[in-house]
Amino acid sequence: MLAEQAIIRFENVTKQYDEDPPVLDDVSFEIERGKFYTLLGPSGCGKTTILRLIAGLTEPTKGNIYFNGKLVNHVPANERQVNTVFQDYALFPHLDVYENVAFGLRVKKMKKADIDAKVKEALRFVNLEGYESRKIQEMSGGQKQRVAIARAIVNEPEVLLLDEPLSALDLKLRTEMQYELRELQRRLGITFIFVTHDQEEALAMSDEIFVLNKGKIQQRGTPTDIYDEPINRFVADFIGESNIIPGKMIKDFLVEFNGKVFECVDQGFHPNEPVEIVIRPEDLEITEPDKGKLRVRVDSQLFRGVHYEICCYDEDGNEWLVHSTKKAAVGEEIGLHFDPEAIHVMRLGETEEEFDKRLESYREVSHAK
Amino acid sequence: MKKKIGANIYLIAVFIILYAPIFYLMIYSFNSGGAMHDFKGFTLEWYKEVFHDTRLIVIVLNTLVIALLSSAIATIFGVLGALAIANARSRRTKNMLLTLNNVLIVSPDVIIGASFLILYTLIGIKLGFTSVLISHIAFSIPIVVLMVLPKLQEMSPTLIDAARDLGATRRDVLTRVVLPFISPGILAGFFMALTYSLDDFAVTFFVTGNGFSTLSVEIYSRARQGISLSINALSTLIFLFTIILVIGYYFINRKSVRPNGVGMRQ
Repeated sequence: MLAEQAIIRFENVTKQYDEDPPVLDDVSFEIERGKFYTLLGPSGCGKTTILRLIAGLTEPTKGNIYFNGKLVNHVPANERQVNTVFQDYALFPHLDVYENVAFGLRVKKMKKADIDAKVKEALRFVNLEGYESRKIQEMSGGQKQRVAIARAIVNEPEVLLLDEPLSALDLKLRTEMQYELRELQRRLGITFIFVTHDQEEALAMSDEIFVLNKGKIQQRGTPTDIYDEPINRFVADFIGESNIIPGKMIKDFLVEFNGKVFECVDQGFHPNEPVEIVIRPEDLEITEPDKGKLRVRVDSQLFRGVHYEICCYDEDGNEWLVHSTKKAAVGEEIGLHFDPEAIHVMRLGETEEEFDKRLESYREVSHAK
Repeated sequence: MKKKIGANIYLIAVFIILYAPIFYLMIYSFNSGGAMHDFKGFTLEWYKEVFHDTRLIVIVLNTLVIALLSSAIATIFGVLGALAIANARSRRTKNMLLTLNNVLIVSPDVIIGASFLILYTLIGIKLGFTSVLISHIAFSIPIVVLMVLPKLQEMSPTLIDAARDLGATRRDVLTRVVLPFISPGILAGFFMALTYSLDDFAVTFFVTGNGFSTLSVEIYSRARQGISLSINALSTLIFLFTIILVIGYYFINRKSVRPNGVGMRQ
């Protein structure tokens, strides 16, 4: 059953150019049918390489790639049931919109009438009816984007790969396209694999996110999992803003940092184990200096539109970032309050497997209670 | 403002100096006096003489056939060569091939002509149509490569990825994406090769044998024998033909550039 669910499987895949450090280092994962996946990471983390490996535009140095259970390491790109929307759209400048969309069908030698019907349908799908005879150069960025999507989906791929397709658009259009892409994926019901370095995009659209860094998958999970329970400093830092403070796990449900002991909801650590604490800026609440759990001094403040971004320092010199809809005065002393649930404890150097195991174990414990 | 007037005068002077000899020659092609001085009266005598000279007309046809054939063949080889250079794996091979190509363009025609003559005598090719054709193809190929290569480098490699991704075989990629994309370069290369072949003197002079001649060689030998204003008439005709070629090239080029212009305006 599980094997049938997975449409793409990577088995210990490594990609290395010459003697350089590997772009992709012993990566294994499965992609399920009909879900929206996002590969998220900074530039050079290997996310585009994964896409190219799936598309067949490059071959792995080591390891195996399976598509629908079949080994596809050496299957060339033109024989795979996968289509890509490229970062620069890669539309053919010498062809008009209609011929760009028809390209894949023409090389498959489909009948003219069938091509016509399919191209029209694909263009309707992306709201580009009536643009058939436009030149590519006459289209705006957002329209080019739609042509690129239409050109890909007209071939009815089982998996659609999107390589940072929104990075060239302005903010408003980008947000609009996020909704559209999500909607498109639901209507088509096929697997989308979306590559981005923009964490907001990833959180907004995905069923499942793979966070990558230096050729390795750091963490995979749903957007809420990854946001609320980052596995390490890199993920916590990369996804959203966060306050990361060194601390010590006294025992289950009790953690010490800033010289004080706080209640928390994490467990499964050794007694007195050194850990790192994550508290999201929006989980910090400004109070009177004496009523908060922490006392800090406001150092600077930025108006971000939705909220104020307030930067404070405590007596130990640790920086605290606070997102608040209320204004604070620079130089003023304030108190910070947070709930036990707001504290997320990270074990140092924990791998993804160990992390999942620990989470699993104490979920069972809490169920047992 | 003053500066601008100065610049304009300079430009006009330069163009007068460049074009004066040609116009001088053209004006005297209508001189009934029969010499390059003392304009006596207007006549089309010399043009009549040109059109009645069957030997000359055969030579003109020879020249055109050589030019069209050599530039067409050179375009095919040149495009293949440019593709090979563009796809060269290492940077070093790429640069080496490109340098070898450019050396052929800058090296003096006399040396190329002389070396071809030595080659043909060595391997026993009879001088004449074939030898001229082969030489013209040879010196045109680097020109075509040089005109096509920038277009290839301008082409984003993701275009090829996209075509492959959409199911195109290597052959499809070449015929449906790469060749259409570089077609302005191919056309430019063809026209360049055509003009180089039409006006080549030095190389042709070496490798042409008895009984076969091209226009430039013929004009040279006639001019040596003595002045006849029919040479002026012939030169005028060639000059006009060249102008037409240039204008034609301009229009073809403009047509292929236009879509971009529209896009920019939006």
